[in-house]
Amino acid sequence: MMLFNIFHRPGAGAHYDIYRQQQELAHQLGLKTTIFLYYSDLFDPRAIADAIRDRDTYGDEISLALHNLTGPGITEISNGQIALWLLDRERKEQILARMIGKFAEVFGANPTSIGSYHLDSSCLEILRRLAPEARTVIGGCFEEGVRVFHGCNHSWYLFNEGMPWNPWYPSKTHGLRPARDEEDASGVVAVPHLVRDMSLAFEGRNDFWASHPPNVIRGMGNDATFCPYDLNLVDQYRMQAEWNGGYSYYNTFVSPSWLDWNHNSEYPPEVAWELYRKFLTYMASLKKDGQLEDLTLSAYGERHRQIRPVGHDEVYLAKELLYGSGKHYFWFVDPAYRVTIDATQGGSIGDLRPYAGQAPVATGPDTPHRDIGSYPYLIQSQHRAGNAHHCYDGARTTLLIKHGEQTLDLCNFRAKVASVARADGKVKIALTPVRFSFSDGVSGDLTTRYEFGNGTITVCRELSGLPAQADLELIEYFKGAPGRTEYPEDLHGIVLEANGSSPVHRDFDYSGQWSEAPGATEVAALIPHVRTRLSLQSGSAVSGRVHAGHLFSPYFTLQLAHRLIGNGTTCTCLNLTSIAA
Amino acid sequence: MSESNLYRSLMRCPVCFSRDTDVLMINTGNEFHYCPKCSFQGMESEIRGMYRDIQKKFHNMGKRFTLEDQRAL
Ligand SMILES: [Zn+2]
Repeated sequence: MMLFNIFHRPGAGAHYDIYRQQQELAHQLGLKTTIFLYYSDLFDPRAIADAIRDRDTYGDEISLALHNLTGPGITEISNGQIALWLLDRERKEQILARMIGKFAEVFGANPTSIGSYHLDSSCLEILRRLAPEARTVIGGCFEEGVRVFHGCNHSWYLFNEGMPWNPWYPSKTHGLRPARDEEDASGVVAVPHLVRDMSLAFEGRNDFWASHPPNVIRGMGNDATFCPYDLNLVDQYRMQAEWNGGYSYYNTFVSPSWLDWNHNSEYPPEVAWELYRKFLTYMASLKKDGQLEDLTLSAYGERHRQIRPVGHDEVYLAKELLYGSGKHYFWFVDPAYRVTIDATQGGSIGDLRPYAGQAPVATGPDTPHRDIGSYPYLIQSQHRAGNAHHCYDGARTTLLIKHGEQTLDLCNFRAKVASVARADGKVKIALTPVRFSFSDGVSGDLTTRYEFGNGTITVCRELSGLPAQADLELIEYFKGAPGRTEYPEDLHGIVLEANGSSPVHRDFDYSGQWSEAPGATEVAALIPHVRTRLSLQSGSAVSGRVHAGHLFSPYFTLQLAHRLIGNGTTCTCLNLTSIAA
Repeated sequence: MSESNLYRSLMRCPVCFSRDTDVLMINTGNEFHYCPKCSFQGMESEIRGMYRDIQKKFHNMGKRFTLEDQRAL
């Protein structure tokens, strides 16, 4: 079953008529919407009357949109700032109090839901206090940063990454981190602003590749009114129900300007309209077939509380749709971490967010984070180079397979996700086997299996087809750095550790030096930036190494080695645990 | 829909777009546009051809993959 929200909002001038046509289209198709009114709309009798009529006639919800901080008594506080989360705490509170007060004055009650592109921890705290009735929010814009930030020289900056792709319970200390338990939870259910293509949103500008047909036009993914991608993406989300308790989630939020001539399209408005109509018509047909339920945002929030307990996990198997690359990505999120497995790079980790450390972030000029509301990463292979292609590698994991003088890097072998399963309270995936061979003729097959959950990522490597006497060293490899953007942060303060016959405990010093740890069964990094200890651990390992990269390669590296004669399997745990700030 | 909309005659720079950046070119009339960010300039027909070139990388742009199709991908 797909649960579906449609969000609409009025526009100014001629765009008001477009908004009304959007509402009419949804209602003709028998679909409910949630109407987001800006503060300035709360002074417009026509906008209020139309919203009330739609609510009373069609069961739509009237909600409050926080963006565009203009209107009586607010313009002079915001001074041109359009994003609430980028103001200081005092102004956030002043503006929220006015907005909610005006909403209550107009409608006789506080809003039951709220829309924003992002809600940082201080906005959430204020919101909970001023409007406890607002139990569901649009709380973040998934990964609106990986390439938007990279490619936005003339357009858009929003450092908002590292959040769940599907609805979540924001924690009190970071609006993008899923809460561990009720105590840690801020009290709202958050949904993402649009849902994203979990392949292309990782590789490029996710604003193009999302549940928003005119944005796909912006990305040039359509041929005039022919755009099967819009429906392909819906069906990819429907596929996820299989691994997520039978439910998937989808929403759309096309504002009127996208259905007029606009700066993101070289097509006349009829094209965007036609694609929007086709998309909603498909959703209506799914509803007719009993495959989809349309809800208001608040109703979704209450449903979420029934179907997803606080602390739940979620998985997404992404199969790339547009290029025809055959690429698979696998995503897992729970309160301990969010991880992205890049099957095309042999199953290496492409992105890792260590939620376990519960790093607190609020945005605004009165915070050290200023505009960067991201949950920091330890690996982000798009920002930070990933697999080596012309020089050093960057943030990533891999397996190095050594035999004689030769080393193979699993990142250079393409695989797919062969299976996804839930068992023993964990999520388990297997990749398709990869065939490898060394120059002396020794060859074999390697199958990688992952298990996710409880703050640990277990990776097992099963080797088969090898000659009985083949002597191999298998090295699990983790190269990472705490970060939030493309640029390196100061890595001073990180401590590198290994156990074994001569234990290692050293400060990260940009020396470029390796420390060897014979007999090690665990190598680790303590990373105060994210309040996290990350370790690679395996009882059957034979040695470890740790490395403090120099300034030309500003990462820490951990290696843990197994020795294998002939076929066999090794398993290594990547543990993320919280350390004191 | 407003026929007088400013954006009606504006196009994005195909060179900047290839670098994942949306930059509106300046329309000097007679279907001639130039980019304020890079050195590209050209006629509308040429620009539309370059958009087509950008789309060539999307090998599956015209393909519908149903739920069942995607399970097998
Ligand atoms: Zn340009």
